[in-house]
Amino acid sequence: MRSLKAASILFMALSLLTLPGCWSSNEIEDLAIYSGVAIDEGDLSEVERGLEEKGGSYSKQNKITATVQIVPLKAGTKDEVKGKTSPYTNISGAGDSLLEIFRQFSLRLNKPIIGHHLKIIVISSQLLKERNIKQVADFMLRDNDIRPNVKIFVSQGEAMQILTTKLPDEVPSFFINDIVKNQFRSSKIMDPVQMTNLDALMYSKQSFILQTIVQAKRQLAFSGAGIIKGETGKWIGHLTEEDVECINWLTNASSSGIIKANNEEGDSIAYEVKGMKTRIRVHTEQDGRLIFQVRVESKGRISEDWSVEGNPSLSSYQKEAEKLFEQKLSMMMDHLLASMQDRYKVDVAKFCEIVRIQKPQLWKKVKSNWDETFSESTVNLDIHVNVTDYGSTTK
Amino acid sequence: MLSSIQSHIPSWTVFFQAFIALVIPILIYRVYVRLDNLGEDKLSSSGSANIESSRDPLVADYDDNMQLIKSRIGANSDVVIREVTVGGVVKAALIYVKGMQEDHLLNMRIIQSLKEMDAQIPEQIMERFPGSSAHAVSSATEFSQGILIGFMALIIDGRKEGLLITPPQCPSREVSEPVSESLLRGSRIGFTEDLSINTALLRKQGLSEDLQIRSCLVGQTIQRELAIAYMDHIVNPDLLREVNDRVAQIKLDYIAESGYIEQFIEDNYLSPFQQVQNTERPDRVIAALLEGRVAILLDGTPFALIVPVTFSMLLQSPEDYFERWLPGTLLRMLRFGAAFISLMAPSLYISFISFHPGLIPTELALTIIETRQGVPFPALIEVLILEISIEILREAGIRLPKPIGPAMGIVGGLVIGEAAVQAGIVSPFLVIVVAATAISSFSIPVYSAGITLRILRFAAMLFAAILGMYGTILFFLLIVCHLSKLKSFGVPYISPFTPYRWSDWKDFFVRVPIFLMKKRPKLMKTMQSKRK
Repeated sequence: MRSLKAASILFMALSLLTLPGCWSSNEIEDLAIYSGVAIDEGDLSEVERGLEEKGGSYSKQNKITATVQIVPLKAGTKDEVKGKTSPYTNISGAGDSLLEIFRQFSLRLNKPIIGHHLKIIVISSQLLKERNIKQVADFMLRDNDIRPNVKIFVSQGEAMQILTTKLPDEVPSFFINDIVKNQFRSSKIMDPVQMTNLDALMYSKQSFILQTIVQAKRQLAFSGAGIIKGETGKWIGHLTEEDVECINWLTNASSSGIIKANNEEGDSIAYEVKGMKTRIRVHTEQDGRLIFQVRVESKGRISEDWSVEGNPSLSSYQKEAEKLFEQKLSMMMDHLLASMQDRYKVDVAKFCEIVRIQKPQLWKKVKSNWDETFSESTVNLDIHVNVTDYGSTTK
Repeated sequence: MLSSIQSHIPSWTVFFQAFIALVIPILIYRVYVRLDNLGEDKLSSSGSANIESSRDPLVADYDDNMQLIKSRIGANSDVVIREVTVGGVVKAALIYVKGMQEDHLLNMRIIQSLKEMDAQIPEQIMERFPGSSAHAVSSATEFSQGILIGFMALIIDGRKEGLLITPPQCPSREVSEPVSESLLRGSRIGFTEDLSINTALLRKQGLSEDLQIRSCLVGQTIQRELAIAYMDHIVNPDLLREVNDRVAQIKLDYIAESGYIEQFIEDNYLSPFQQVQNTERPDRVIAALLEGRVAILLDGTPFALIVPVTFSMLLQSPEDYFERWLPGTLLRMLRFGAAFISLMAPSLYISFISFHPGLIPTELALTIIETRQGVPFPALIEVLILEISIEILREAGIRLPKPIGPAMGIVGGLVIGEAAVQAGIVSPFLVIVVAATAISSFSIPVYSAGITLRILRFAAMLFAAILGMYGTILFFLLIVCHLSKLKSFGVPYISPFTPYRWSDWKDFFVRVPIFLMKKRPKLMKTMQSKRK
């Protein structure tokens, strides 16, 4: 009798353990994974407009439009997906709170969306012209589903369009995420700004750049970068692809890429960078202005030469070519410096780091007003290009 | 004042949780202690000792003796009593059990020599018999037991003792390769069912005066011979005493297999882990003896027991030492990995699929989602379906006759897996997980350790299904807690991991070159620490 009682108590204790079931369990196929987010100016999409006409709305102001890219929402066999349907689905909603918009999606989707696998966020430059990036990205920073290594881009034109780019059998957000890996081939791709970097940059009030994505005829491309002014957190302008390249070289972030120059006849001659090293020293003048001594050293090979007469195997010809490349490079650098110092009056090439490390006392003084201090400083360039190689042919 | 304190007093829910957190562990502990006490009296519960002393001596009169013997065992149909006369004068009888004395030539010679013997000098009769094990017994009990064990016995009129003349020639299996522990490299000899052959196999491993084999009888209704083997001057005397004590305490009418002994002498009968290792390999036994362990051999079974056992022994194979140290180490690491996979893979699958989709790499997550579309069950049920069918298949594979066993296993596995995927009951990814689990569990060299992991795997799956990764980690911690508390004959089960003995790590995860392993394991506390 006693053992029966003990057994029944044991049984009840065991069932107590199993009865609560699977806490917070959610099968993976019952979730909608979103891999990309695009944030635009508040504008109702066609679907939403239709819904609103039927009374499907809530109290809100349409300040932003968020688009999430869900992969793969469609239930079906592989063949079906390959043949007819696209591998992703986009859904947009407008409102004045990202979280509210996201929760509102629960009314329109059969599965809850989860952000664990979010790869990229594209913010339209139009939106950032008007709004501080902190306001836009605040939810992403706080949400603990979303990883801190999400890459952030700006778009020329509607960000939503970037995510709807029609690429055969490709999910645009993964596509963009993968383009970044081509950095070793092109120095026009900058190190992506991740969510963690963004957090730091925003709070230190530094100006920074975000890679720009452009789109035409449903094809996309990385092109240059948008400048975010540190104090206001707003988009103030665009840097060209060459500017971004120069920034990568100045900050030693990249040692790849090509420099293409034209000789006197107008023939193209291309120099493939094999190594690029930049050293910057900072001095102060009597009047308090800063002088940056920038020494750029590069070695590489002549990979393409259109000139019919030229002979790259001759060292005299190489010397000539080096001159051409040095001129071209300093032209590119000058263009960048002009953009930074004169046009936008910001430092996005990390000159501040140089000052901070080399002149910490000075940095404390100029920190609060750095962008202006930088704009008034002088940058002296000293460029050395060394052709080490001319490829597999002599002529 | 009071109100400022009041705000710090937690609400009743906190107190309730604290109460639960206090009471449940105490309850579990009490249940455990209760169950453990059940095991305490298992050694002494089955009646008092039945020591039969030689109270019924054989007498000098032939007829009286015959009567006594006949009344004891004569009614058996397989007991043959053959009466002869020694030298044509003295009455005598040969008694033996059919089937135990199959050497007809020998039998004829014995009868012949009895007939031709001079009846007047019966004292010298012993020397005349061929064979070395002829001896005299004076007690009727011992005498009849001798007959039943298989001796050919002789009673002669006028002698107050019976003679057991030729030893049993019971049919036995040939020495063959151990089935459950076959190796690619290493000796192919396994124990047989015959204890004397088994001890001989141990002796044949090499010459040593230190190898001691002591035997005794176990079982009360049916007695069997049990031998305890150890190395003198190496084994710790306390350990040896403990083994002897525990073996002496076994009270059971019949010991069918060494598994019975294992269950009687183990430390904790509630633990899923075996605390006694069984092996069919003489080389494994000798290696263990040289480490200061004790082996127990039982007549009638090819499985010898080795005590004490540590966790790492269950994942070691003699091949680790026969191969060079690098491959040996690699294989051993592989087995540790396989044990982990075999224990955890399905529960990790459940926790990733049901609880933590964010921990799967994105591409894999997408593939899984695609393959799991249309699977109607939650991950736990899905895994259980496939795991249980694999377990059934494995169990069935043992029963199936040899020629169709492997074919059936492959066909069953393939067909069930493939069909279940086709039918949309399970996802293809799960089939990979379950297959990897099954293969991993086959790589564990000790069969019974594999069973332990199979049991625990199901527990791990339940934990994972309730609490996800958190539950899986809790389960792992629980296992580690249990293991660190478990002891086998006084030796901590997961030593040298804890208690930490660096010098023993040479033969733990890695197997260092043999010339570096000059000392016996510290954990065994041997009399002689150096291998010489």
